[in-house]
Amino acid sequence: MHATATSHEFEGATEATYRSIVEHAIEGIFQTTPDGQYLLANPALAEIYGYDSTDELKGNVQEIARQLYVDPARRPEFIRLMNENDCVWGFESQIYRKDGSVIWISENVRVIRGTNGEVRYYEGTVEDITARKRAEEELRRAKEAAEEASRSKSQFLANMSHELRTPLNAIIGYSELMREEAEDIGLPSFVRDLGKIESAGKHLLGLINGVLDIAKIEAGKMDLHAETFDVAKMIEEVCATVAPVVEKNGNYFQIKAAPNLGAMHTDLTKVRQSLFNLLGNAGKFTREGRVQLEAERITDGGRDWLVFHVRDTGVGMTPEQARKIFEAFTQADASTTRKFGGTGLGLAITREFSRLIGGDVIVQSALGQGSVFTLRVPAELSSTPIEEGTVASGATSAGAVAGEFPLGAPQVLLIDDDPTVHELVRRFLQKEGIQVVDAYTGAEGLEMARQLRPSMVVLDVMMPTMDGWSVLTKLKGDAELSDIPVVMLTMVNNREMGFSLGVDDYMLKPIDRSDFVSTLRKYCNRQDKPLVLVVEDDLVTRDMLRASLEKEEFIVVEAGNGLEGLEKLATTRPALILLDLMMPEMDGFQFTREVRSRPEWRDIPILVMTAKDIDAEDRALLDGQVSRILQKGACAREELLAEISQRLTRTARPVETVAAA
Amino acid sequence: MKKLLLVEDNEMNRDMLSRRLERRGYHVVIAVDGEQGITAAKEHRPDLILMDMSLPVLDGWESTRRLKQEPDTQAIPVLALTAHAMAGERDKAIAAGCNDYDTKPVDFVRLLGKIESLLPA
Repeated sequence: MHATATSHEFEGATEATYRSIVEHAIEGIFQTTPDGQYLLANPALAEIYGYDSTDELKGNVQEIARQLYVDPARRPEFIRLMNENDCVWGFESQIYRKDGSVIWISENVRVIRGTNGEVRYYEGTVEDITARKRAEEELRRAKEAAEEASRSKSQFLANMSHELRTPLNAIIGYSELMREEAEDIGLPSFVRDLGKIESAGKHLLGLINGVLDIAKIEAGKMDLHAETFDVAKMIEEVCATVAPVVEKNGNYFQIKAAPNLGAMHTDLTKVRQSLFNLLGNAGKFTREGRVQLEAERITDGGRDWLVFHVRDTGVGMTPEQARKIFEAFTQADASTTRKFGGTGLGLAITREFSRLIGGDVIVQSALGQGSVFTLRVPAELSSTPIEEGTVASGATSAGAVAGEFPLGAPQVLLIDDDPTVHELVRRFLQKEGIQVVDAYTGAEGLEMARQLRPSMVVLDVMMPTMDGWSVLTKLKGDAELSDIPVVMLTMVNNREMGFSLGVDDYMLKPIDRSDFVSTLRKYCNRQDKPLVLVVEDDLVTRDMLRASLEKEEFIVVEAGNGLEGLEKLATTRPALILLDLMMPEMDGFQFTREVRSRPEWRDIPILVMTAKDIDAEDRALLDGQVSRILQKGACAREELLAEISQRLTRTARPVETVAAA
Repeated sequence: MKKLLLVEDNEMNRDMLSRRLERRGYHVVIAVDGEQGITAAKEHRPDLILMDMSLPVLDGWESTRRLKQEPDTQAIPVLALTAHAMAGERDKAIAAGCNDYDTKPVDFVRLLGKIESLLPA
């Protein structure tokens, strides 16, 4: 109020105005004495409390503490709060109306004190909050009822699962027993049929166990039992158990365990079951491919984590399917169950287990391109539950800051509209000392390429406005940029298009970490490291060679047969070729002929590694064409490496066969 | 021939397990509750006891505790069988004095392995 507005008329008008406000307010307004009598009450207050007039209210209510409050302790509490704070806000109580009915009110009140600080009266407002309280109460009851129903459903399922297992125990046991007896007395057709009962019984048991686990988790009855165990040994045991399942479809099962895995202190059964589920799934959905388990120990957010990657080259999933894959009772689609079997519970259980022990599991996949499941678990089971999102934020903190890299560190320009790809690539490359520069559109990418002149470009195809093909054409059409290596990283499987437009390598999403890293390393360090092309159809041998060569700082390019080898030669120039002879599609003999017929490839040394017994005819075919023939198995790793190093500085010379120790 | 005492109240499980164990060359003695189990253990002196945990009259935990207190029976290895594949169950069985633990439904090959490793040479 303005200081000069003190005229009598104005004060009179103000009082009339205030009186009007009090009379017509929707909220109850009052002044009460400390001993519980009304000095003032407005009509709204009388109405809230069910009285016909303010006079009736003031006349009838002489002792507020006893007459109004349902709980007689409310008024003393109110007075205590007033003494402490001089005011209360949102003081909620139940009140008797005149007719005895009970309502909920909320009061905002302040104290009015005299000159000596003594309490003269309280004044404030009252709001009827009965409707809100009722709604809240109903909501709470509904929620409790729903939770109770869910708990009892889960409890029922848990009990029921136990009841189901008991007779199943008899079915499986007796069929095993009878199968053994039928074998003894020579009844092969019985043996077969009993075997079917047994395996159907075991399958049913698997389903029931899954349902039981889910029910237990939902009922909050899944206990954790922490123990200390050796991670490498645990992996060994899990892999030994799961190997027959993984290898059943003709898959090659590979385990890459870091040497520093150490020990974990957590619930062993949960970790084991999670890995078992992930590996079993990978094997189930992959045919004649590769299933790989990679394990590493990392420090993130001040604690140690074990990270397990389960990679497969199987059927993969669409993004839509990948989103739903961890939900219980859901497989990628209904036909999956018919084709691949299973409960659709394994991944839901895996996620629940991993979260129970403070970790999480994520998937990266593309339809037809395989999947990578990553399980992260804290090395120490924490007694306090981990908040949701810790894992994700931990992952973010692993991101690189440009300043961390030394001057002259290789720089990769990543052009992709998907931020999760940036996140992943950054994580993969940070450890390699490779800096990632982010561009989220084609135009931005081109601009940055011109400014930064990165060591290489990693490029997506499907991007809004300007797609990867256009970016690629512009990069390769610009004389200043055309020699920057470009690797496509995309869901689009169109290698021909890529190579015809001049890309140096073509990689499909989902990103396979080790392939991706070794490919990028190849381009980032291409000046100082020699490149070896390994042409070998056997995956195991190829992997072994790659590992040995990479350890010696070679860059390895792989080809599965002669034809693929020629394709690789079209885009990369190796310092040496390691060649197997017996391969499908195009064998080593023909490959050698093709390579030697091209002047630009003629001087690349070729080392033949073969399990074949080389006869005079073979020798004649290869003589003068290849540098050396090594017998597989007979040749030690060191000797092979020494041979390669030696060859890298020489040109081709006549053939000699070694059968080394 | 090694002698096993099987304490199991479920008739089918008892019949099936005992027959399968007999096929593997064990001599199997039967008891249907914990009290009978203790009596049979004293009388037959088996080389090993297979003990179901949820038993009438006297449960498997209490029966094992008593067997492990008696001088004549405390050296006999006890292999607990429970229907619950939970970590807490194993601890409970071990705490009662059981030498090892397996879950039902029985994986027979695994069970045989455990029996063989517990049997005195």
